[in-house]
Amino acid sequence: MDAAFRIRFNALGGQGEVVLSAADEAQAQALAQRAIDEVLRIEHKYSRYRPDSVLGQLNAGAGRRAVDCDTETLSLFAFADTLYADSDGLFDISSGVLRRAWNFSAPRLPSAAELAPLLALIGWPRVQRDGRQVFLPVSGMEIDFGGFGKEYAADRAATQLAEQGVRHGYVNLAGDIRVLGPKPNGEPWTIGIQHPRQPGKLVASLALSQGGLATSGDYERSFEIAGQRYCHVLNPRDGWPVRFWRSVSVLAPLAVAAGSIATIAMLKQAEGLGFLQDSAMPYLAIDLNGALHRSAAPT
Amino acid sequence: MAATRLLAAALALPGLALADAAPDRGLIAFKYLDYLDSQPGADRVRIKAPALQVLAPFAGTWSLGATAISDAISGASPAFHTRALSKLTDERNAGDLTLTHYLRDGSISLGTAYSSESDYVSRGLSLSGSWSSEDRNRTWSAGIGSSRDDIHPVTHIVSNEHKKVLDLGLGLTQVLNPRNVLQATLGHNRARGYLSDPYKLFDERPRARHATRLLLRWNQHLEGGGQTLRWQYRHYRDSYGVRAHTAGLEFVQPLPAGLSLTPSLRLHNQGKARFYVEVDPEAAPFPTQPPEDAVYHSLDQRLSAFGALTAGLKLAWQIDADWSTDLKFEHYAQRGHWHLGGAGSTDLAPFKARSWQLGLSRAF
Repeated sequence: MDAAFRIRFNALGGQGEVVLSAADEAQAQALAQRAIDEVLRIEHKYSRYRPDSVLGQLNAGAGRRAVDCDTETLSLFAFADTLYADSDGLFDISSGVLRRAWNFSAPRLPSAAELAPLLALIGWPRVQRDGRQVFLPVSGMEIDFGGFGKEYAADRAATQLAEQGVRHGYVNLAGDIRVLGPKPNGEPWTIGIQHPRQPGKLVASLALSQGGLATSGDYERSFEIAGQRYCHVLNPRDGWPVRFWRSVSVLAPLAVAAGSIATIAMLKQAEGLGFLQDSAMPYLAIDLNGALHRSAAPT
Repeated sequence: MAATRLLAAALALPGLALADAAPDRGLIAFKYLDYLDSQPGADRVRIKAPALQVLAPFAGTWSLGATAISDAISGASPAFHTRALSKLTDERNAGDLTLTHYLRDGSISLGTAYSSESDYVSRGLSLSGSWSSEDRNRTWSAGIGSSRDDIHPVTHIVSNEHKKVLDLGLGLTQVLNPRNVLQATLGHNRARGYLSDPYKLFDERPRARHATRLLLRWNQHLEGGGQTLRWQYRHYRDSYGVRAHTAGLEFVQPLPAGLSLTPSLRLHNQGKARFYVEVDPEAAPFPTQPPEDAVYHSLDQRLSAFGALTAGLKLAWQIDADWSTDLKFEHYAQRGHWHLGGAGSTDLAPFKARSWQLGLSRAF
């Protein structure tokens, strides 16, 4: 029987790994490379830091010119439409401009005067789409796929492995995971969920044979001032970090669905629990007081 | 529900959903069928058929499937209408091989089949493929198959006869939402050669038959209890004049400990072939004579006009991750006067059949 191999790489600003079964190390490397190349392709194509990326050009053209987008990009915009509608406008891919006021490497709270002009730039429905032509109508507007790009990359990478016949393994992009199939011996993989307050400690571990697992938390890119935590998940209505959840983990058939549901639950704050229950997907959520909420029967 | 819409939207993203993926594990299955049909006062045909099926994936994107079946046929069959039961005994050995290659958006299969009885040999070849849309909610399938049969009846009523069949099929499966799946399949079948039954009296059928079939299926997964409803409608018509409608419903009820119970009901209504000769009660005990000017004629009960009802019950048990077993029982009853829409065929003995099938399979 084939053994399992772990191939690590860096992408999307973090650690990634491909775990898969193969006859030997060389075969595992060769199989994993296509998945890694796919992650790097997505990073290159949709990075908001690269002026030559699709989003780099789109953002640079804000208020000036429309940009011709390909089918993959338009599909991601269509997905963003669903996220916007299902979150009552909270999941907005044009809300990244708020990062100009929130720099998580330096603990400092922005003033209302700083936030107001940024809030005026937010509004996904204002983005004009005509066929393949996409136009951000106001100079300074920005869109990014930070809310689901990593999960999308994990799913796409998993498809690359499946197309090569890989049936046992998973892709893990800094905690956002897509499982292709169980271990070579048929047992599920054990995947840990990071404790939101104690780095390196797990709050739970799950047995996974397939599907996607994603976590949205207040602990990555955040700071504390006077005992109050300010995290990177920002409410596009007032420009302030959400507060109700320390972390939300969701299991779904695809990582991109799991990640989106987890993020919407974070954004909905107190109403997030009802949203998770309605989603019918298994979840594990930790609120501000450290209390654990999970779906009745984790499957 | 918001999450259902969200998941559907996620599945619509390019390059995420996997098509008809190659099976990741092999399967070996054994089935045993015991079938007996009868009319009042007499058992007719009995078939005992053990079958072995193997499916083996290899090289990641390929699979090879094989089936071997051996039928022991015994009992008696009417020489005309439902009279003059004549003894028969035969053994049929059959096998098929299917090679499937799984692609990014579908699969292609090449199959070959062989079957032999003491008086009948059949060889077949088939090619089929399936293609799924990017979001995997729609799957098209198409297939072409042909077979050539050699017929040497022991009655020597004919010898060295042949039958050639060409079969075409086109299917569409549409996922409406995670709980509802619709499927439509259209098929056309052209047979040429010796299509009569050499063991029946006055059986002379046209040497060409075109048949068209339409199958509509709707699988409905119920919220809450995990039950599944499988609705089915089938229409069949051929150039012999046979028109048939079949409607069926299965209800899968999951039970604790990996068990499930599936009751089923099927209604079948068939019009007679243009050249079917009705029973003339005056002729008894002799066979009814076909009209003198009739070029084609048959006294075969299977070509008469009738209505039929099948009731079934299946108990399945998923023992563990590898082993599963099931037991299925079916009862079939057919009457001329159950025919709907016009008079059914008259003066035939009521026909019934029962079958049970035991299955055992192991994944490896």
